[in-house]
Amino acid sequence: MDKLFDFFNWILPRLSWAAEGLGQFFGNLLRSIPYALSWLFANHVTIAELYCLLVRWIMPVLALMILTSILRSMIRVKNPKERWGYLYSPDLGRFPVTHWETLIGKGRNCDIVVPFMTISKVHCALIFDGTKKWRIHNLTERADVSVNGVTIDGSAPIESGDNLTIGGVDMEFDTISPKEASIQAQRRLFLSQSTITPLVTTCLLTVFQMLTVSSLIINRPEHSGAIATSFLIFSGVMWGYILFNFFWSKTGLEPEILAFFLCSLCLAVTASSRPESIHKQLVAILIGMAFFLALSWYLRSLKRVVKLRHAVAVLTCVLLCASLIFGTLTNGAHNWIYVMGISIQPSELAKVCFIFAGAASLERLFKKRNLWGFIGLSFFCFGALALMSDFGTAAIFFVTFLVIAYLRSGDFATLSLICCSAIAALVLVLKFKPYIAARFSIWGHAWDDVSGAGYQQVRTMSAAASGGMIGVGSGEGWLHKIAAANTDLVFGMICEEWGLIIGLLAILGIASLSIFTFRVVRSSRSSYYVIASCAAVSMLVFQTMLNVFGSLDMFPLTGVTFPFVSCGGSSMLASWGLLAFVKAADTRQGASFAVKKVRFKNKKRKPYRADREPQPVDDFFEEVLEGSDADYPPLGKDAAEPEPGTGFNDMDDFLRDLDFLFDDKGGKR
Amino acid sequence: MKNITRRTIITFFLAAILLAGTGFFVGKLFLDGSSWVSLSANTHIYSNGVLKSGTLLDRDGKVLAASNGGNWTFAEDSTTRKALLHTVGVPQGTISTGAITKFAGKLAGYNFIMGAKHLGSSGNDLYLTVDADVCDTAYKALGSHKGAVGVYNYETGEIICMVSTPTYDPANPPSISEGDPNYEGVYVNRFLSSKFIPGSTFKLVTLYAALEEIPDIQSRTFHCDGSVQIGDQVITCTGIHGDLTLEQALNVSCNCAFGQIAEMVGGKKLLKYAEAAGLTGSYSVNGIDTKPSSFNFDSKDQGDIAWAGVGQGKDLVNPCAMMVYMGAIANGGKTAVPQIISKVTLPGGLKTSIYLHKKTEPLITEESAAIIARYMKSNVVNNYGESRFPGLDIYGKTGTAQVDSAEASNSWFAGFIRNENAPYAFVVYAEGGGSGVSTAAKIANTVLQAAVQNAPAE
Repeated sequence: MDKLFDFFNWILPRLSWAAEGLGQFFGNLLRSIPYALSWLFANHVTIAELYCLLVRWIMPVLALMILTSILRSMIRVKNPKERWGYLYSPDLGRFPVTHWETLIGKGRNCDIVVPFMTISKVHCALIFDGTKKWRIHNLTERADVSVNGVTIDGSAPIESGDNLTIGGVDMEFDTISPKEASIQAQRRLFLSQSTITPLVTTCLLTVFQMLTVSSLIINRPEHSGAIATSFLIFSGVMWGYILFNFFWSKTGLEPEILAFFLCSLCLAVTASSRPESIHKQLVAILIGMAFFLALSWYLRSLKRVVKLRHAVAVLTCVLLCASLIFGTLTNGAHNWIYVMGISIQPSELAKVCFIFAGAASLERLFKKRNLWGFIGLSFFCFGALALMSDFGTAAIFFVTFLVIAYLRSGDFATLSLICCSAIAALVLVLKFKPYIAARFSIWGHAWDDVSGAGYQQVRTMSAAASGGMIGVGSGEGWLHKIAAANTDLVFGMICEEWGLIIGLLAILGIASLSIFTFRVVRSSRSSYYVIASCAAVSMLVFQTMLNVFGSLDMFPLTGVTFPFVSCGGSSMLASWGLLAFVKAADTRQGASFAVKKVRFKNKKRKPYRADREPQPVDDFFEEVLEGSDADYPPLGKDAAEPEPGTGFNDMDDFLRDLDFLFDDKGGKR
Repeated sequence: MKNITRRTIITFFLAAILLAGTGFFVGKLFLDGSSWVSLSANTHIYSNGVLKSGTLLDRDGKVLAASNGGNWTFAEDSTTRKALLHTVGVPQGTISTGAITKFAGKLAGYNFIMGAKHLGSSGNDLYLTVDADVCDTAYKALGSHKGAVGVYNYETGEIICMVSTPTYDPANPPSISEGDPNYEGVYVNRFLSSKFIPGSTFKLVTLYAALEEIPDIQSRTFHCDGSVQIGDQVITCTGIHGDLTLEQALNVSCNCAFGQIAEMVGGKKLLKYAEAAGLTGSYSVNGIDTKPSSFNFDSKDQGDIAWAGVGQGKDLVNPCAMMVYMGAIANGGKTAVPQIISKVTLPGGLKTSIYLHKKTEPLITEESAAIIARYMKSNVVNNYGESRFPGLDIYGKTGTAQVDSAEASNSWFAGFIRNENAPYAFVVYAEGGGSGVSTAAKIANTVLQAAVQNAPAE
């Protein structure tokens, strides 16, 4: 009873406090309307002033519309699994093969769970090389795997129609027929199409760009020509890309439109801070896009990617060594190289290479020693970056390393150990090199040293606050006069000139990429794409975190860039490069040119069982058009998944409980 | 594949951290945006380091300072200018707690939605809670003493009077050489940002600790021979008081009695009650943080503890915190957090922000507050004399703080009055004023008479 009394004693004053506040707030709101009107009549306002005020209000609304449409499309996206073939067992039923890399065993964490006593938890792996060859790998020493009655040694090729015996269970392996493939393609296309057409979003984005240009021209008249042409060219290229994809029936363009939005902000930031070099920035964006297209194209074939991995690992080291040897000391870090009047930051390119080399297909994951190669590469990178005193980039590499290592091994214990030793190493470094600690000592106390170590942070905060929700207007801020405003402090600049709403949307844009990837990789073909895309997105997200929180004194200021938004060529190139990995994981039908269509050969084979022949195409398509959300309709009956067994480790078991998040079906099995 | 795709949830966590951090930033921006905007490098509201626009007024609408494109004009009367120097501040920002510096964002018309840039640039009208006339009176009453006077409404938190001396006229600033004894600490608001030896006013905290910790303290008697040996030290008294009850001990402010009480309570407990009374914390007066008081109660020598308990030794108390403690005694526990901003309006009078009255945590228990208030009344009746405070229902405690370096003692008077229209708590501190009764109490009376007279009728 006393407790209740205390609670009322506690809550009542607070309630009355809140009520008082709300009352005052709405009272003021009511009075403000006649006040604003009378103010407008009493004071002289020029058309230009009114126009700029109007633009300040319209731009956040437009940005909100653009981001919502992208986000909605990303969240609603359906990416049903592709089917590549089946394993038939006369007794256990039919198991669909839905990836290029398929684990088969008794364990619940296998892709194909065969609930049979004599089969190991993880028995074997069925791997497709993306062109035409399938291989079967034996992953257990306790039991045999045989193809057409011949026991295999390690691995062996397997073809459609072959008989596979695992742990005494006979199965027949078959790739899907061309007919089923074509039905599947149509059905997946129907399900995975974006909910909105990209054209509407692009139109909104164009209006956004036009408004930005118009107010920038008012405030930077001496550079109006350069600003206008740059935006025009950028807009033209954007439309070219969108229309080409549109007529080529590619619809999943969300990541690119998001990047276009962020690049528009980048151009605007450049126009406001360094209008004389806006052409340079435009070229950087175009080169970035070209790099994106080239890398996406290269990623289409897993075979050639895997071949190039070692070379890229070497390239990562070479890039970092190059900046160590030829680098000039700029802002306390050795990471710039000047070649023929162009400044390059090789560590930015090394980020893309690091992921390219660090991601791995399942075939490599069988062997433990491969992880050690990756760990070696990673530690080389940390060391080189630490020598350059580029701690921001070193932190980005470290987080990316953790993400890749976790995805590859799933081993939390080892990773915790690595984290602990990294922290210990950091403590040692800070202890023996106190000048490094001194660089970060201002963290959290920027306002105590407004004109010294906290100079940039307090100015970022002050400028960001001055912008309010809608910003002071393009080109009307002052933060751009501060060093590194258009790179390290770019979030402050966005908030000042375009307002908090647009600043938050830029962050949300990067964060939404992670949600997108998280959903889309459910049906990725190879673990290489899964790992690469997740690592790339983690890198983008963490980099954003370091940039934004660093400039606002919530993290130490390390001088890393905001992906796509910060000015500069190397970081733009890296951002687009990282986006290519995201694109390559998006297996929605017709969504991405980075994903290759695989053609099926029409092969003659004897029917194994009568009930596995596909239904007539017409019936099947009826069901599709009715919009049934169920997974593939039964072309013969699939074997049911068994009850949960034991997993690989605790974390994976925990994640399995979260499976409902991943399924479009909402847990229905 | 299944395991690997499941593990991708890690990217989701990273994104969640990013979004949570961003949310934290937005919250901070909402709370602190106005003070961030006040950075003098912010050219949206400053030109050449001087605030471009804004008008400061007292609670009756008397203009204290106004800017027109960076040219600042001050109140007409030079007494008002001097009296409110530390409250108003100067455009150059040398007085860091001044309203012009601290509330620059509000003066310039910053708000969370529109930021710092508006169509019209005339700035906002910021009404302070102070009454210029009462402050004038306080400044005059302080005379040549360095010190501070604070009066606030313990029900609403409004600071009616806040004066700190030495001061100067911001309209005709003198050239002040460093180390000039006449201008010692002239840029510091002694009321908010300094701490001083509290003298016997601190006995009200020792008394609070004794009432809570020693159940039969009110029935005990104490003996005073003019001095008493505690630990290694001799506690001296102002006279030989003989046998005393607790109430009498407070009336005559007997050091011997309170030294013994402090010894009985102990250093740890004394510190606990000094903390409970809100002295060691800092109050945020609309974003201006007061200086926390400091004590040294962990000495091994009981003599040090005894001296600390009578308000001498290493005790240093912030005048504002002492005033708030008086408010808590008056209110029986909780009191209002002091506020200096009354309202902010657009030039036409439309309010742009909301200031709600905030209460402190309970600083004292209701029972102890009632007893202490009774004793404070008895101080006035039996010792100081009610005739010194005509027409006031006043409760108080004087203090005479001895500073080793200075010849004359510093004079304190802290307390409150009960009055329906003017529920005011006050503190007066006058350096070199001698005994509390002779100087500080006199100043307090002058200021309170003016404050009650000018109190708005309900």
